[in-house]
Amino acid sequence: MAHIIKILDGFSFIPRKELTLLEALEQQDVVVEYQCREGFCGSCQVNLIDGEVVYTTEPIAFVPEGKVLTCCCQPDSDLTIEIPGGCKVKAKGR
Amino acid sequence: MPLKRSDRCQPDDTALTFPAEQTMTYTTFNQAQFDAIKEPMFFGQNVNVSRYDIQRYPVFEKLIEKQLSFFWRPEEVDLSTDRRDFIALPEHEKHIFLSNLKYQILLDSVQGRSPNVALLPVVSLPELETWIETWAFSETIHSRSYTHIIRNIVTEPAQVFDDIVTNEAITKRARDITCYYDDLIAGVSLYHQFGAGQHTVNGEEVEISITDLKRKLYLTLVSVNVLEAIRFYVSFACSFAFAERSTMEGNAKIIKLIARDEALHLTGTQHMLQLMADGKDDPEMAVIARELKDQARQIFIDAAEQEKDWADYLFRDGSMIGLNRDILSQYVEYITNQRMSAIGFEPAFAIKQNPLPWMNSWLNSDNVQVAPQEVEVSSYLVGQIDSTVESEDFSSFSL
Repeated sequence: MAHIIKILDGFSFIPRKELTLLEALEQQDVVVEYQCREGFCGSCQVNLIDGEVVYTTEPIAFVPEGKVLTCCCQPDSDLTIEIPGGCKVKAKGR
Repeated sequence: MPLKRSDRCQPDDTALTFPAEQTMTYTTFNQAQFDAIKEPMFFGQNVNVSRYDIQRYPVFEKLIEKQLSFFWRPEEVDLSTDRRDFIALPEHEKHIFLSNLKYQILLDSVQGRSPNVALLPVVSLPELETWIETWAFSETIHSRSYTHIIRNIVTEPAQVFDDIVTNEAITKRARDITCYYDDLIAGVSLYHQFGAGQHTVNGEEVEISITDLKRKLYLTLVSVNVLEAIRFYVSFACSFAFAERSTMEGNAKIIKLIARDEALHLTGTQHMLQLMADGKDDPEMAVIARELKDQARQIFIDAAEQEKDWADYLFRDGSMIGLNRDILSQYVEYITNQRMSAIGFEPAFAIKQNPLPWMNSWLNSDNVQVAPQEVEVSSYLVGQIDSTVESEDFSSFSL
């Protein structure tokens, strides 16, 4: 089932279901931090305001309460997330 | 009466039957019987059996497994084009490159030994003990890779290495990096010799208490986290800035492997700090973490200021394309904020956006080669491939 992702102070979209949350955000050209993309560095954390995620691989990085590691999770319900530093979209056409 | 090491190494086994709470001397195999998973991370019982069937914190074993899967050796990376690239660099860029490398050498020299010397004598969980050893070992690979780089790009490696201990811009920072480690090591060694209490050592009054040692440990871990999560990343930014311009790319490939390891190490340290602050591991540690919060925050802020001073030194003779003093200083602030919030501290700087967006793709380990047939075959490695490409090679090539 398709889930809606709502970015706080940003916009909402429906991601393709095979994508991780990080990939889904990147596909929308949203600027998100990342490093390892496999759950051990912790760079790609966002705040989970509402909803549930399911981890495709269990993260090794420390994930504080209220945050999710976008590189290794997928939405399990409609989500509301907040990106640290705000929702910024990459300029197109470059 | 405190036990002396010599008393305990007598052939009769009476020394070994002392109950654990009396022995403050470090023992390499603790004979006491206790439930290992009830021990705190540090300052509990000395570890005895290295067993991993039951674990208090399985995350440390995951870190070990991950680190082992990352194994690499510096000689796998061909640096012959880097030599030519280096010779072609203008003088002020040579200064940037070599100074940055010297700093990285200092950082890994410290990290290759200090976690072992400082933390192993006080660790109480086998999985954490093994993580510390695995962690420090991987830093020794980094140190070896710097020698590999220097051998390849300069004719007189000694000039580079010798400058590290005499260059004031580097030694100034070395003190801040090592002082917490040294303080902890000194305190623990006194504790192991004399135990807790008031003692006169060489005519000087010293007060030794476990609480004080725990404070030293907490500050040490904070400063280690600063070293791995901020200082290293500032140096990575410089290494990758060269590669962004398609120069010194072999070096960047090595730094990429190092960055992958460091991302794991900083996760390990963040876990330790969070477990401490949480208080389930050792309630006293949580009190200490609260007590020392301001001091810990200040370690982050001081380090950031120091890294900005370093940016001044790096770019004193001129900037390079893509990186200058101001941008690097902004990156210092940005990464400091990130790392502070990762361990639950209020960020110290106003900056919100990454001033070096290209860093992410360099730091990403997805595209680090890990195919088994491509690595770890040491006999295939050094100088076996002619990596020179001339423009004629493309003469028959058309688009």
